Amino acid sequence: MSRFEIYSPEGLRVDGRRWNELRRFDCSINTHSHAADGSSYLEQGNNKIITLVKGPKEPSLRSQMDPTKALLKVSVNITKFSKTERSKTSHKNERRVLEIQTALTRTFNKNVMLHIYPRTLIDIEIHVLQQDGGLVGTLINGITLALIDAGIAMFDYISGVSVGLYDTTPLLEVNSLEENVMSSVTLGVVGKTEKLSLLLVEDKIPLDRLESVLAIGIAGAHRVRELMDSELRKRAEKRVANSTN
Amino acid sequence: MSVAAALPKRKRLSEGLTVTQKVFVRSRNGRASKIVREHYLRKDIPCLSRACDKCPEIVVPDAKSELPSFVLSESPLELPSIGKHYVVLDTNVILQAIDLLENPDCFSDVIVPQIVLEEVRNKSYPVYTRLRSLTKNSDDKKRFIVFHNEFNEFTFIDRLPEESINDRNDRAIRKACQWYGEHLEPYGIKIVLVTNDRLNRDAADKSKDSFISMSLFDYVQALPNGDEIKDSIPNFEVSSENTKDTEAKSEFTYPEYYSTSRIMGGLKNGALFQGNIQISEYNFLEGSINLPNFSKPVLIVGPKNLNRAFNGDQVVVELLPQSEWKAPSSIALDSEHFDVNDNADIDGDDDNSQVVLSDKQRKLLTQDAILAQKSNKVQPTARVVSITRRSWRQYVGQIAPNSVDAQNGGTQNVFVILMDKCLPKIRIRTRRAHELLSQRIVISVDSWPETHKYPLGHFVRNLGEVESVQAETEALLLEHDVEYRPFSKKVLECLPPEGHDWKAPETLDDASAVSKDPLLPKRRDLRDKLICSIDPPGCVDIDDALHAKKLPNGNWEVGVHIADVTHFVKPNTALDGEGASRGTSVYLVDKRIDMLPMLLGTDLCSLKPYVDRFAFSVLWELNENADIVNVDFAKSVIKSREAFSYEQAQLRIDDPNQQDELTHGMRALLKLSIKLKEKRINAGALNLASPEVKVHMDSETSDPNEVEIKKLLATNSLVEEFMLLANISVARKIYDSFPQTAMLRRHASPPSTNFELLNEMLQTRKGMSISLESSKALADSLDRCIDPKDPYFNTLVRIMSTRCMMAAQYFYSGAYSYSDFRHYGLAVDIYTHFTSPIRRYCDVVAHRQLAGAIGYEPLDLSHRDKNRMDMICKNINKKHRNAQFAGRASIEYYVGQVMRNNESVETGYVIKVLNNGIVVLVPKFGVEGLIRLENLTKDTGSASFDEVEFKLSFTQATTGKRRDVHVFEKVDVQVRSVLDQVTSKRKAELLLI
Ligand SMILES: [Zn+2]
Repeated sequence: MSRFEIYSPEGLRVDGRRWNELRRFDCSINTHSHAADGSSYLEQGNNKIITLVKGPKEPSLRSQMDPTKALLKVSVNITKFSKTERSKTSHKNERRVLEIQTALTRTFNKNVMLHIYPRTLIDIEIHVLQQDGGLVGTLINGITLALIDAGIAMFDYISGVSVGLYDTTPLLEVNSLEENVMSSVTLGVVGKTEKLSLLLVEDKIPLDRLESVLAIGIAGAHRVRELMDSELRKRAEKRVANSTN
Repeated sequence: MSVAAALPKRKRLSEGLTVTQKVFVRSRNGRASKIVREHYLRKDIPCLSRACDKCPEIVVPDAKSELPSFVLSESPLELPSIGKHYVVLDTNVILQAIDLLENPDCFSDVIVPQIVLEEVRNKSYPVYTRLRSLTKNSDDKKRFIVFHNEFNEFTFIDRLPEESINDRNDRAIRKACQWYGEHLEPYGIKIVLVTNDRLNRDAADKSKDSFISMSLFDYVQALPNGDEIKDSIPNFEVSSENTKDTEAKSEFTYPEYYSTSRIMGGLKNGALFQGNIQISEYNFLEGSINLPNFSKPVLIVGPKNLNRAFNGDQVVVELLPQSEWKAPSSIALDSEHFDVNDNADIDGDDDNSQVVLSDKQRKLLTQDAILAQKSNKVQPTARVVSITRRSWRQYVGQIAPNSVDAQNGGTQNVFVILMDKCLPKIRIRTRRAHELLSQRIVISVDSWPETHKYPLGHFVRNLGEVESVQAETEALLLEHDVEYRPFSKKVLECLPPEGHDWKAPETLDDASAVSKDPLLPKRRDLRDKLICSIDPPGCVDIDDALHAKKLPNGNWEVGVHIADVTHFVKPNTALDGEGASRGTSVYLVDKRIDMLPMLLGTDLCSLKPYVDRFAFSVLWELNENADIVNVDFAKSVIKSREAFSYEQAQLRIDDPNQQDELTHGMRALLKLSIKLKEKRINAGALNLASPEVKVHMDSETSDPNEVEIKKLLATNSLVEEFMLLANISVARKIYDSFPQTAMLRRHASPPSTNFELLNEMLQTRKGMSISLESSKALADSLDRCIDPKDPYFNTLVRIMSTRCMMAAQYFYSGAYSYSDFRHYGLAVDIYTHFTSPIRRYCDVVAHRQLAGAIGYEPLDLSHRDKNRMDMICKNINKKHRNAQFAGRASIEYYVGQVMRNNESVETGYVIKVLNNGIVVLVPKFGVEGLIRLENLTKDTGSASFDEVEFKLSFTQATTGKRRDVHVFEKVDVQVRSVLDQVTSKRKAELLLI
C-alpha cells in the first residue's frame, strides 16, 4: 500500500501534478563537445541522463559495415547509483536493458537518414545518472537532442513520453511511484504528426482505454517537442551570434 | 551550513507551477537511504467555500472535464463565542473521534488539510476510508473537504533545520489555517483549528489573529447540542489534561511494549515473531498465534503475557523459556464472569503485589499448568511484546449494572461488557449511566494504557432495549460488520430509470433497443426453451432456472440460466462499489440484508415466470450417463414457464398424469442429477452435516413459535447438482482465459492435526476412526461411524467433523498453483461461484470474466489486476464469514425466544469434556451449551477429570450419587432460556438430569 494517495479525488497526483501535466523539462546540448560529436544533458523530472553520439565514423569491426547505409548502435548504461537504493550488480546485460536498447535502435533506425552515411557506424551511448519513472521516454528525447547536436540528418524530431492508466484516468508522464502501481505505455511520436515510431506497453491496458491514453500521450509528446525545439533554437541563435562576432 | 542553503531550492516552471524537491531518509532492513522526490506547488487549489468569489476564477477541470464543486456553506454554523466558522481538524482528533465526526448532528463545514489526511492514512487505513467517504458524500449535510495544503504554493512550508517531522507537519496545519483565516476574512468566516495536541494549540495561540484553536472537548462543549454529544468524546486518560479524576493509578501495570527499533531488530534476527492473535472461544485469558515454522499454534496464556492484545490484533511475540511451555487449557473462562466485583473507578487489584492475576484466576491457571505437565501435549508459549495493528472497531455491549454507582447522577466510570466474549470489558465515562442500563449500546475503544487493567472507550450510540428484536438484530449486524443501512442515492441512481417497468426488448435486432444496448445482438434468444425454476417456497430472488431437451442423437441438451446481474451492475459504478463492499446478502431469520437493491434482486434480475428476462446461460450436451459431450456459454434472453417450490416440483415429477414436455424435461433433469451425484460421491465428495434448524414464525404475531430441522427433497439435490456442474464448467473456462486473475473458490484438505482430538475420542470411546488419506477415504470412514443403537450418532460425528475441516475460500488463480485449486469437499480440481450473482459478489466477478472469455464484452481492468483481485477476494472472504456468523447468531437469538416460552427436557449429546464442565449439543434446537461443574455438583472439590478417557466424574447434586459423564454420551438435559444477570444476554441454559 502506498503511503500516499496516487491520484486523489481532487485530481492531484502524488507529486502535486494534475493528470495532464508534464514534469520539469531541462535540456542542453553540446555538453561534452570534446568527448563526442554530439551530446546532450537532459533532466526530465528526476530522470537525469547524458547522451553521447559518436559518428558517423568508420566502424572498428568489419561486421559492422553495411555498404548501403549506416549502422546505428545504442548502448544504455544504467549507473549503479541511479535508483534510491544502490544496486550491487551492473545493469549491463539485464534483459530489461537489452530490450530497451533494441526498442531504441528500432525507433531511430526509421527516423535517421541512414542511407546517406553508408559504411559508417553511429554510436549512441547513454548514461543514466538518476531515474524516476518513464525512463524510455527520456532516453528517446536525449538521443534526439544529441543526434541533432551531432548534425546527423533526421526526418523529424522524435519525442518520447510515458502515460499511465489509473483506473480510468490517464496520467501523463508517470514518475517511479506511479509507474510501480499502474500499467503504463511509452510513446515515441514523430514531429508534430500523430505518427508513432514507438509504442511500448508495460503490463495490460484495456483496449477501450487505449484511445484516451494515446490522445494525452501524443499531446504531451508534442509539448516535449516544443520544449526541445525552443532550446535548440535558443542555442542555434547563440551560435550564430558567436560566429558573426 | 547556513539556513538558506539547507533548504531545497524552488524552481518556477511555466503554467503557474513551481517545483521543489522533497528529501527524506528511509530506513529499510536496517539501512538508511536518501530519497528525493519531486514536489510540484501550484496556485490553482481553491478554498471550496461558496462564499468566496476569488477561487472560482482559478479552478481547472479534471480528466473528465469536471470542475470541483464548492462545498463549504456560505453561512456555516454560528456560535456565540466564535461566530460563523469552518472547522479544521488535526490528525489526533480524527483518529480518536471519527465516530463523532460522522455524527450528522455536529461537525459540518469541515476542512481536512492534506497533511492530516496523509497522517491518518498512515496511522489507520480504516479511519482514512471513513474520512474519505465523509469528503466524498458531499450530500449537503456534512460538507467535508480536503484542502491540498502540501501542493499549494501559498501554504507549503519547508522543514526547518533541527525541526522534527511532527513539528513541521503541525506548523503546516497552522499555516493552512492561517491562509484560510486570511482568505475568508472578507466574508466574515472564521477558522477554528480543533486539536488535542496542546503544543500545537499553544503555538497557534501565539499567532492568534488569523484563526482560533480549541481542544475537541472545549469545542464540543461550545456547541448548542454539546451536552448530548459530550458522551461520545473519546476517553484518553493519559493525554486528557483537564480530568479531575481522583482515581489513583494503582500499582497495577502491564509490561511495557518494546521500542520500534528493538522490534525491528528482533524480527530481523529471528528472536521475535509477528502474527495475528486469536483468543480462545472458551477462555478469554488464553490466546494462540500461528507462526511460520511452528507446526502447532503457539500459546499465549494469562493477562500479562497477552499484554492488552485484543482478539485479531496483529502482534509481535517473544517465546517463553521451555519450562513455561504448556498444553491448551481445558477449562472454560469468560470475561463476563470474572472480576464482576471490580470497581470501575479503581484500577488493578487491592493487593499491592506485582502479580496481575486475581486469586481465582491464578488458581485455575495453576491447576491447568499441573495438568499440562502430566500430559505430553506441551506446546510452546509466548508473550506479547508489541502490538503492530489493533483490530479495534465499534463494539456492541451493555453496561454492567454492578459497576454503576446508583447515588451518582453525574459523570462516572462504568464497565461495558461486550457481546463478543473473547474481549475484555471496557471502561467508559458517561453521564447517562442510569438511563443506559439495560440498553444495548455501541462503544468505541480508544486506548489501553499500561497502568490500566481495562481498556478505555467511549459511548457511541444506543441501539435500544436489551432483548427487543430491533436492538438485538441491529446489534448482531453491527457485531458482524454487516452494512445494513439503506442504499444511498448515488447507488440507486445507477439503476435503470424505467424501474419496475423495465422490459426485455421484443426482438434482439430492434434498432432503438440496439442503439441503447449495442451488445444486444450478441445475445441468444432462448425464449422458445421450456425453462423453469425450482427454489425454496416463497423465494423472491430467483437467480437460477433450468431446462432439458432431448436431442435427435439421443443426448440431452441441458441449460442452466443465471440472472444476468452484470447487465445492470457495470464495473466502477457506485452500485458496483456498494455490491463489492457488501460482498454478500445476509440472511437472518426475519430479515434479509441485500447485496444489491431490491429492484434488481427481486424484479429485474429475478428469473420470474411468464416474463422475458436477461440471463447468462451455460448449455451442455450431456449423454445418458451425464458425461459432458459439449459445453457452451451465452448471454441470453429467456422466459421461464413456471416457478416451482421444491415440493411442487417433486409432486409434478411424481405425478404420472403429467405428460407435457416441461415435466418430461424435469424428469430428465432429475435422472441426470442422480447420475451426477453418484459420480461425485464416487470421486470422494463429502456429505457433512451442520445442526441447521429453521425457525417457524407465527404468521399473525410474527413471534417465533417452533423450531424445525431443515428437510431435504430429491429436487433440492436436482438443482444443487446442476449448479455445481455450472460452477465447475465456468471455472474451467475463466481460468483458461484469465490464468492469473480468474475468480475461483478452493477448499484445502484438512491437516491431520485437526482431527487428532476427534479421532482420539472416537478411538477411545467407540473403537472407530476417521481416515484422512483422501476425501474418498474420509467419506467412507464417516459412513462407517455408525452406532446401531443410535441413528443420530452418525450425524453427530459428521457435525463434529465439519468443525475440523478447513474453511473454503475465494481466491484469484494467480495466488495458488493449480494443484492447490482443489475443492476438497466437492472433490473437484477447480471450482468457482457463478450461480447466485444476486446475492454473492464472487459470482458477479465470475460473470464478468466469463463475458470477457466468450468475447461478449472486454473485461474491466479491476478484474484483470492481481492486486485488485486480491483485495476483492480478501473482502468477500471476510464478508462471507461474517454473514454466516450473523445468520447463526440470528437463529440462536430466535431459538432463545422459542425456548423462553417452552421449557422442556430434551436429548443431548456430550461433545466436549472439560476440566470444569461439559459441552452438550441439543439437536432439536441446534444449540450447544456449557454446563459448568458448579451446576453439576455441589461438591466441586471431589470432581475428577480423566483426560485419557474423556470422562468427568462428580457427585450429582440432585441424587447424591456418583456419576461419570463421557464424551459422545447421550444425556437428557433440561433446556430453558435464561437471562444472564451480569451480561443481560439471553441464552440457552442446559441442566443435566
Ligand atoms: Zn477562495
